[in-house]
Amino acid sequence: MNQTSTYQKSSIGKKQIVAVTGLILILFVCGHLLGNLFIFVGPEAFNHYAAKLAGLRPGLYVVEAGLTIMFVVHLMLTLSIAHENAAARPVKYQVSNPGASKTHSSCLMPLSGSVLLIFVLWHLWDFTFSNHDGLRSVLSDGVNYGLYGVVVNSFKDPLHSILYILSMAAVGLHLSHGLQSVVQTFGLSDGKFLPVMKKISFVFGFSVAAIFSAIPMYVLFVLK
Amino acid sequence: MKTINLTLQIWRQKDANSTGQFESYPAKDIDTAMSFLEMLDVVNERLTKEGKEPVAFDHDCREGICGMCGAVVNGQPHGHIKATTLCQLHMRHFNDGETIVIEPWRSTAFPVTKDLIVDRTAFDRIISAGGFISAKTGSAPEASAISIQQDKAELSMDAASCIGCGACVASCPNASAMLFTSAKVSHLNLLPQGRVEAKDRVTNMVKQMDEEGFGNCSNEYLCEDACPKEISVVNIARMNKEFRTASRS
Repeated sequence: MNQTSTYQKSSIGKKQIVAVTGLILILFVCGHLLGNLFIFVGPEAFNHYAAKLAGLRPGLYVVEAGLTIMFVVHLMLTLSIAHENAAARPVKYQVSNPGASKTHSSCLMPLSGSVLLIFVLWHLWDFTFSNHDGLRSVLSDGVNYGLYGVVVNSFKDPLHSILYILSMAAVGLHLSHGLQSVVQTFGLSDGKFLPVMKKISFVFGFSVAAIFSAIPMYVLFVLK
Repeated sequence: MKTINLTLQIWRQKDANSTGQFESYPAKDIDTAMSFLEMLDVVNERLTKEGKEPVAFDHDCREGICGMCGAVVNGQPHGHIKATTLCQLHMRHFNDGETIVIEPWRSTAFPVTKDLIVDRTAFDRIISAGGFISAKTGSAPEASAISIQQDKAELSMDAASCIGCGACVASCPNASAMLFTSAKVSHLNLLPQGRVEAKDRVTNMVKQMDEEGFGNCSNEYLCEDACPKEISVVNIARMNKEFRTASRS
């Protein structure tokens, strides 16, 4: 028990917990992304997928509770780490390191993470806990399309779409550093694997952001 | 002989309890064959002749092997030339008329004691926590008594080339000492002689590193870029793995 507590309080232990919770959240994001792709198939497929998912309750509550715990642990530990990091250098340099510009995504982790927190809360209110059978579900043809209608109506608003795409950019930025960071933090990287992993991580983050962003783009520019 | 004229913006701080500030000094007719520290020597000679306090900076071997010198030059520890200590940075890499900003390492764990000098005894305490092997004293053992794999020996020697200058801490956005600590852990843990105490070593050295007030590694790898001995961040990955394994048992 004492050893576990020492591990959790150590800088490496905290980072490894952040990494593992982050990895679980990455897996959730991937699953969510795959599910969202049903929107390209059509209203029936998308609503059927949503209904299937809802049908998994009460088991789904357990998954949701687990994900919430992962999210909160990830958030609390990163806040603690960020606080310690700020305290480790109270006096800043007069001239900032020119080399730091090449690590945009890592420097922006606290910012992209904060954007993600706000986005998740907005997204839950906007889609998950909103009414899926009200006026927002009715499209221009007067038919109620359920959750599909809510998504389409939301993304038909350019401001809504822009905010969503910007949030997805934050997701991409966060994941592009996060994935390779998991590998390094768990010591799975050797001299040859790390540079490859950095590239994979970048492509992964960019792809996730691009595919998620394709949904509002599709609604705005393709769907009539 | 080519000479250049420079303007230096140097951090001046009377002692650990004072608040410092930047002061500007001209550095005229600097021979480009000089090292950075020799340039500071010239400036200090002039300051002394003018009855002013010379700029305090750490130095010893001036051959790039002792790890004593170091300052942040225009935002980069040891300056902008890769794999070079401040004493081996030559003035031919600067342009005539340039303004150079010279700052001490900035870290809570490395308090400034005077001007460009910082107290790096935090590193000594990390070493004391486990950066050694317990060996029986006596006559030298037979050279081939313990066989060591060539690749492990090479990696260990690479890690052992850390001179403990602190540039990794200075360059890290979080002032983390992970590169230094991981180099010292790897240096010994890779060798059979160091395996006996490997778990205690990594646990105790990381614990001490945390207690000193260094920040956390966020995998930005600026430490590797700044290191005058090109210590690889693979050492950090190795230490992360060793620490996790040691915590399980």
